[in-house]
Amino acid sequence: MADIEQNSAPVRNPVTAHPPVRQMTAVQRFFLSNEFGLIVLIVLFTIIFASISPMFLSNFSLYAMGRTAAVNIMIGFSMMVVIVTGGLNLGVGAIGVCGAMFGGWLMQAAGLHWLPACFGALIVGALLGATNGVMIVKSGLHSFIITLATMSVMFGAMIFLTQAESFREISPAFSTLGRMKILAVLSPMLLTAIVIGVLLWLAFKFTTVGREILAAGANARAAELSGIRVGRMITYAHALSGVLAVVAGLMLVSRTGAAIPSMAGQLGQDWLLPAFLGPVLGGNLLTGGRISVLGTFLGAFLVTMLTTGLLLMQVGAFWVQTYLGLLLLIAVLLDLARRSYLARNKLV
Amino acid sequence: MTQHITKSDWFGPFVVSVAAIIVVGILKPSFLTPFNIQILLLAISVNALVAFAQMVIIGIGQMNLSVGAIGGLAAISFAGMMEVWGLPWPIAAMLALAVGLLAGVLNGALVALTGVSAFVITLATLSVFKGINLGITEAQPFYEIPEAVKWIGNASLFGTIPLLFFPFAITAIALWYFLFRLPLGRTILAVGGNSHAAELSGISVPKAEIVAHAISGVLAAMAGIMLVARLELGQPSIGDDWLILSFAAPVIGGALLTGGRISVAGTCCGVVIIAIITQVLVLFNIDPFLVQVVLGLLILWAVGVNRLREIRGQRHVPGGAA
Amino acid sequence: MTKRPVLKATTAAILLGVLSTQASADSTTRVALVPGGPHPYFAAWEQAGKDAARDFGLAAADYRVPQKWELSMQNQILESLVTQGYNAFLVFPGDPVGTVAIANELAGTGAPVLALAGCLQDPSEAKFCMGTDTGNSAYLGAKELLEVLGPGAKIAHFTGFLVDPNTQLRIDAVARAAEEAGAEVIQVIADIDAPEPAEEKINAYLAAHAGDVDGIITTAWVPAVVAANALRRIGDKRIKMVGIDHDEVVMNAIRDGYVHGTMLQNPYGQGYIGSFVADRLRSGCEVKADAPFKSIALTDKFIDSGTVFAGIDAVDNYVASMQAITAELMEGFEDTYLTCS
Repeated sequence: MADIEQNSAPVRNPVTAHPPVRQMTAVQRFFLSNEFGLIVLIVLFTIIFASISPMFLSNFSLYAMGRTAAVNIMIGFSMMVVIVTGGLNLGVGAIGVCGAMFGGWLMQAAGLHWLPACFGALIVGALLGATNGVMIVKSGLHSFIITLATMSVMFGAMIFLTQAESFREISPAFSTLGRMKILAVLSPMLLTAIVIGVLLWLAFKFTTVGREILAAGANARAAELSGIRVGRMITYAHALSGVLAVVAGLMLVSRTGAAIPSMAGQLGQDWLLPAFLGPVLGGNLLTGGRISVLGTFLGAFLVTMLTTGLLLMQVGAFWVQTYLGLLLLIAVLLDLARRSYLARNKLV
Repeated sequence: MTQHITKSDWFGPFVVSVAAIIVVGILKPSFLTPFNIQILLLAISVNALVAFAQMVIIGIGQMNLSVGAIGGLAAISFAGMMEVWGLPWPIAAMLALAVGLLAGVLNGALVALTGVSAFVITLATLSVFKGINLGITEAQPFYEIPEAVKWIGNASLFGTIPLLFFPFAITAIALWYFLFRLPLGRTILAVGGNSHAAELSGISVPKAEIVAHAISGVLAAMAGIMLVARLELGQPSIGDDWLILSFAAPVIGGALLTGGRISVAGTCCGVVIIAIITQVLVLFNIDPFLVQVVLGLLILWAVGVNRLREIRGQRHVPGGAA
Repeated sequence: MTKRPVLKATTAAILLGVLSTQASADSTTRVALVPGGPHPYFAAWEQAGKDAARDFGLAAADYRVPQKWELSMQNQILESLVTQGYNAFLVFPGDPVGTVAIANELAGTGAPVLALAGCLQDPSEAKFCMGTDTGNSAYLGAKELLEVLGPGAKIAHFTGFLVDPNTQLRIDAVARAAEEAGAEVIQVIADIDAPEPAEEKINAYLAAHAGDVDGIITTAWVPAVVAANALRRIGDKRIKMVGIDHDEVVMNAIRDGYVHGTMLQNPYGQGYIGSFVADRLRSGCEVKADAPFKSIALTDKFIDSGTVFAGIDAVDNYVASMQAITAELMEGFEDTYLTCS
């Protein structure tokens, strides 16, 4: 799952910005990539945390970490597929909650089996996302402002329709998924996130639509000239984002055994930071045109791991956030140092 | 000349805000009472500084997620220095501004030196600043705010123009002059428009970045300090809610998130529009369960009207959708 | 309450460490007191935990705060506390329904779980809920307010986030009290439990409607503070207000006559008694099958930790009255609610 890059995308990174003098092999490129950097960081911090607190690698801790990471990864994916078009989707949380609440309603009020209920929830996610996409394309306004407004409308409508009541009668089979342990450490939720990651990678690498979305994100005008229907691609990307957001929402429903309106906080804003953290640490450019599914996956995982590690180390309760921020900075700087070291010594 | 005005970035949001004031004023006469205007101006004064703090960074083509965290840190530093150290308020205010400046310079220096996107850097420093805030306060507000500060937060001229309006007005003019008339300010917009071209023409991009972030930090700190005066309380949760507002107002005011194009007047209009919408929701006694829906629809309406005018005025730009 | 600069917090943490190692000879109970997020209401839990650990010889009774008021953050901190070896949990539910799953998982590790300050919605595996019946507190507050206003009064209700199901309970309770007293709730402003929106909306409301309203009830911390300040600012003693909780701003406004009174809760007592009970439950005690729990909207296993109205006459000695309630609850707790082997 290495990078897929559309050649015309502007590259901001100072190191990789230098045009490669000689042809690099795939292995060399991998060593310079964000993904490799993230793997190094994850290994490094695992060693550090495990040596300070052995409990870090206990079965329960690994299981809990995987489960939390799964949700963050899905939220990251949801933002990622819109970022590749050069846009943003602030409504990730709002759509995720709306879809999940609809799924909860289908299970409780309509008495559906959990599979069709989840399917219905995903369709709602796709529709809400597509609505965003259509409005963005038709109005020509920036996705930031459209999704800002629709997030308020969608979340408000959900609160109005449910009167902030939860749906608790979730199929036991479905909520078991949130507590199930495979081989004592693996959550089905993490497995789902991995499968969806692979599917996303395949879709953007090998399908026409995937490639066209990337092309539209890299350079809308050029894509338009080469016959790609840019507007339609943007709508597709937003619909996909909606579906992925609802997957994250449904994971939380399964985890909590109830569909609750507060799962993503007021207006779904709690999801905003995780939504950006994964894709941005993973090396997706905010200007679009470049996607790294593996990077998003690893980025979201790294953040979850840092948080868990810090909580375990019992730093003063009120200071955790400061240390998390510092660790993020250190992570970014270490990655930078690694790349400039490799480049300076012509190791790649 | 009139053509020049109708074509400028801020004209659309300006028309929308004037129309909104007239319509709401007719439907609810209490909207235009001196007391209500004072309340409206108070909200605008603080929110505009928050929006300016983000606008400067949008101008250089970046994003600053830590605006709220800096504002909150400055607010609790201001209140804390007065309560714990017993400093007189002007000194505490200056030191709190210095905290904002320092935080901004730190952001700018990290962005300029590492070349990592400001988005990532400020995401990390957001955690650092908010964490320091919680570490110091343990989520407890500072209560002992001197009477003079409370007075400043509440006093007004002729019962309509709050004192806090003046720091805002002066800042707005100074910021406009700096960004559009002084060479240093223009380099910020040049870097935002096209950093590569700016670099080729001899502009120091790192310097522009550090200056922009420093200004952003000071503006956020000002907003935080003013909120302490208004709330009469050093609340640690000040700033938690700023993120969306800080982007929404400049964008409604016609700023391009890609950088290089911002408008001080447009951002002010964006802030006015948001303040009016907030008031309308209260004035018309909207069902609390519908407030969010109405809020979203009104934002869509405001940007839609502006966009319609743009489309009529100019040619349609295909693919400008992303 | 005094402010604790950084240094003092660190010394306290070190002191706590020393204390807990000393006490660990007596009991293996490690209690974690976990609020929903950083909030001044819970500050008393820290001291309560320390006092309980000292008085009852617990291995630890630590106050661990989620850094953000987010459900996922609270879940993550609870999971890490299990990993750290905590074996008794006093949890303020971030969401009455949403926190049930994690509470059940904690209970699944064999640790006693108590819902503290606010309740989980039944069914859950929490042993019981000790705290405030949010709906009833709002109802009592509204009744106190309507008593001074008389029939036909028009009141406004300022409250917290609608995503919190407690907010709906409060809105309903205030409406019910108004109906019973022949009064009218003319406006509900919600989603303002944060300083900036509270300031903006409450002031806008007073600017436009100060003449139309006779009373204000607030059922969230920040709106209470902001509304108290706003009334002082416009100098209006005609509008009566009942607040919530013990913020200094609200207490001072009561003293100066701008606020009629406030609905107080007993966070210290919750933390202290909760830590004690958690230890008893780990050392062979069971909750009695026929314990005299109260039934409230959320749960049938509720113990009131003290919810009282404090007007001008009670504002200066509310700490003493809360201590009295705590002592009284503590006194008969084991006999009333537990069977010990």
